[in-house]
Amino acid sequence: MAIASSIDWIAQLIANHTVPVVQSSHFQQLRAQALEQAHRLMLPTTAQEEWRFTDLSPLLRLQFKQAHTQPDESVLDVSSWQIPEATLRVTLIDGVFSPEHSSINQLPVGLTILPLVQALDTHGAAIEAHLRKHSKDDDLFVALNNAFLQHGLFIHVAAGVKLTAPIHLLCVARTDAVVTHPRIILIADRESACCVIEDYVSASASDYLTNVMGDVSLAQGAELRHIKVQRESIDAFHVANYAVDVAREAHYISQTMSFGARLSRHKQVVTQNGEAAKITTDGLAWIEGRQLADTHTVMDHSKGYGQCNQAHKTIVGGAAHAVFNGKIFVRTGAQLTDSSQQSRNLLLSPRAHVDTQPQLEIFADDVKCAHGATVGQLDEESLFYLISRGLPELQARNLLTYAFAADLIDRIPVPSLVAQLSQSVMARTGAAS
Amino acid sequence: MSTVLDNLVSQPYQHGFVTDIESETAPKGLSEDTIRMISAKKNEPEWLLKFRLNAYQHWLQMTEPQWPNVKYPQIDFQAISYYAAPKPKLKKSMDEVDPELLRTFEKLGVPMHERAALAGVAVDVIFDSVSVTTTYREKLAEVGIIFCSISEAVQHHPDLVRQYMGSVVPVTDNYYAALNSAVFTDGSFCFIPKGVKCPMELSTYFRINTQDSGQFERTLIIAEDDATVSYLEGCTAPKFDTNQLHAAVVELVALERADIKYSTVQNWYAGDENGIGGIYNFVTKRGLCKGNHSKISWTQVETGSAITWKYPSCVLLGDHSIGEFYSVALTNHRQQADTGTKMIHVGRHTRSTIISKGISAGHSHNSYRGLVKVGPKAAGARNFSQCDSMLIGQQCSANTFPYIQVQNPTAQIEHEATTSKIGEDQLFYFQSRGISTEEAVSMIINGFCKEVFQQLPMEFAVEATKLLGLKLEGSVG
Repeated sequence: MAIASSIDWIAQLIANHTVPVVQSSHFQQLRAQALEQAHRLMLPTTAQEEWRFTDLSPLLRLQFKQAHTQPDESVLDVSSWQIPEATLRVTLIDGVFSPEHSSINQLPVGLTILPLVQALDTHGAAIEAHLRKHSKDDDLFVALNNAFLQHGLFIHVAAGVKLTAPIHLLCVARTDAVVTHPRIILIADRESACCVIEDYVSASASDYLTNVMGDVSLAQGAELRHIKVQRESIDAFHVANYAVDVAREAHYISQTMSFGARLSRHKQVVTQNGEAAKITTDGLAWIEGRQLADTHTVMDHSKGYGQCNQAHKTIVGGAAHAVFNGKIFVRTGAQLTDSSQQSRNLLLSPRAHVDTQPQLEIFADDVKCAHGATVGQLDEESLFYLISRGLPELQARNLLTYAFAADLIDRIPVPSLVAQLSQSVMARTGAAS
Repeated sequence: MSTVLDNLVSQPYQHGFVTDIESETAPKGLSEDTIRMISAKKNEPEWLLKFRLNAYQHWLQMTEPQWPNVKYPQIDFQAISYYAAPKPKLKKSMDEVDPELLRTFEKLGVPMHERAALAGVAVDVIFDSVSVTTTYREKLAEVGIIFCSISEAVQHHPDLVRQYMGSVVPVTDNYYAALNSAVFTDGSFCFIPKGVKCPMELSTYFRINTQDSGQFERTLIIAEDDATVSYLEGCTAPKFDTNQLHAAVVELVALERADIKYSTVQNWYAGDENGIGGIYNFVTKRGLCKGNHSKISWTQVETGSAITWKYPSCVLLGDHSIGEFYSVALTNHRQQADTGTKMIHVGRHTRSTIISKGISAGHSHNSYRGLVKVGPKAAGARNFSQCDSMLIGQQCSANTFPYIQVQNPTAQIEHEATTSKIGEDQLFYFQSRGISTEEAVSMIINGFCKEVFQQLPMEFAVEATKLLGLKLEGSVG
């Protein structure tokens, strides 16, 4: 198909999409404003600093349609993606809630899990209080997600409730050339604890676009582990925008594993709104072929005594391209902040390409901040050591490549997921041989 | 503690006097006529006028860069005088130089003339826009080195100037480089022929003396095969309550196995504690390691200017070429600095080192912005970067914006950055050993900057240490 202009493309995307009216006037208004904003905005270009290394123009060659209003549940086998530890499971098929593949009937006391389309009516006030966080962004994808706010997931953990089993959100892409705008709302009340696994997979669909947005809130003393596994189809486009609010003494743990999509963008803005909050973020992007994985993170320390520990790794093979931009802000008065960031990048092939940009902006004098970035290939000496022990070179390379990623994967406290991921990356190093 | 530091960081500017010298100033404003006037005044050949007009046409098309992390009111380019020359000109020896001017340089502590002999430094002095005097020229000529003002070079060595000017920083490079290419009035020219090791340090002092004038100088240094040179640059300006623009261009070319070391101590007037006045220092500096095994090393101590916007860079074209960047940037009061470097690895087995130390005090903003780029052909490229920031006080900020772009898997890139402050425990330790707070602060800062000061030539190292002392040490210390 010929390349459409940015304006036509957006107009078409909007014209192809309808959302039913919701009861709440607030959400109606939000949609209307966002729709108007989307009409004004253009597809971001590399002339914009935020998108400097990520060229979205391949999107213009494709046309996307809205998914069916009823999920196509016929003969879909989700067992290979299932995580046995997660007894609570929500499945979205092409962005639409699928009751058949979900199991949320027996919820522990204090836990609310609802398809967003239902929660918009029943929990409107709670959602309203947490939805405004992206409003400042003049971002087309944010505007589109707001404009088509309908499907997604709502999770609320009541004060003091500590859940041990993880909650699995499985997003399956089934239909070709579909655009979905899922919205994930996670609210962890005071002193609560829970773990959510967001999982993007594809059942043989291609050329689709996932435009997900997440609104995450942690109240005082809450602990939330937020695992995101992006294993979309290799022809897919994946754009994600997360806004996370972390209150006093809360602990947000984010683990993001990106393997799929032809073009993926993961943006995460974490705001430390209370003192002595803790943020731990791990990110891994393992790409090859002509894939592009872009990760943009912002750690905004607006209160003192905050702690942040960020580790981001990329493994880049083929002619793939990894982009990382990690900002750390320490606002005036956020004294005794201790924030560190690591960006480690492994290039596997001569045509692989990485752009990494750690960024510190510090407005307080009594803080400890550090960032480090490395780019390199496999260590020749380690390789030689393994070969001297009798391993074939290829196997030695694969082992070292796996080891580079393994520490981030192993930190996920869900054994079956770790096994699934390890297997798939092992298969990957094998496939590369 | 804070009052001590306040005293420490509030030292008056010592070079803020105005020298009462008659000067010939062009009417304010910029147009083709101004450029033709400058060109005619300097009796320039036709090609140079074309070069200027071409740059001016490009400049008209360009817009002022908005991306630096600095804030300042819109500059009115028509309110600047693009040519200011001390009168009378054309002197044959140092004795004919206006004694008032010589006194200025004495006040500045410029090691000129007899002091130059002692220090063994050859000096080219640029006053406002025009080169006033060059010492030691004959001695340098004996070994074949050309060291003169760029206007003289245009007259006497036009082929060299024509060949290299604009080859490293093209007229279209950026807004201020284009402006400079259109209106530059003077600067230094230095040519080291094949196999010559320059027997002494070469040095240029820049001074802006006239209110409402901008300084647009251009420096061009060429080191042929196996040549070696060390070049020093110092800058000062008087106190005015208006802002003056300084938009210089420096181009370095290093051929096979050549080695250029370029050191700067920049102490332009920084404005007062409320941020009134001061120099806008928007400078383009770039070195081209054209030959294999060539080396370019930038060392800068940035203490002055209301706003500094400057990225001395190295294009590592030749195989096995080396780029180095050592920087100390100190900002105080309302100063803003957005400075750093670019290391562009093009050739194979190229290496670069970046050591940047930022100190911000008062209400100042200090940013490091750097690019390490490894092209697809730069096999075995190696970079190490370290940017450390120190904050003194709660109103200042320190930012780091490093860009790392790698297109070759055999490249090895390391970048680290830290932020720290002068710890109470460190000060306590010093005091327990009988060292006063002032001295302790000064010692800690000098220790923080040591890796950079070590790179400076002897005389400059002493001067830089004193300068930081001046900016930060209290009247007691």
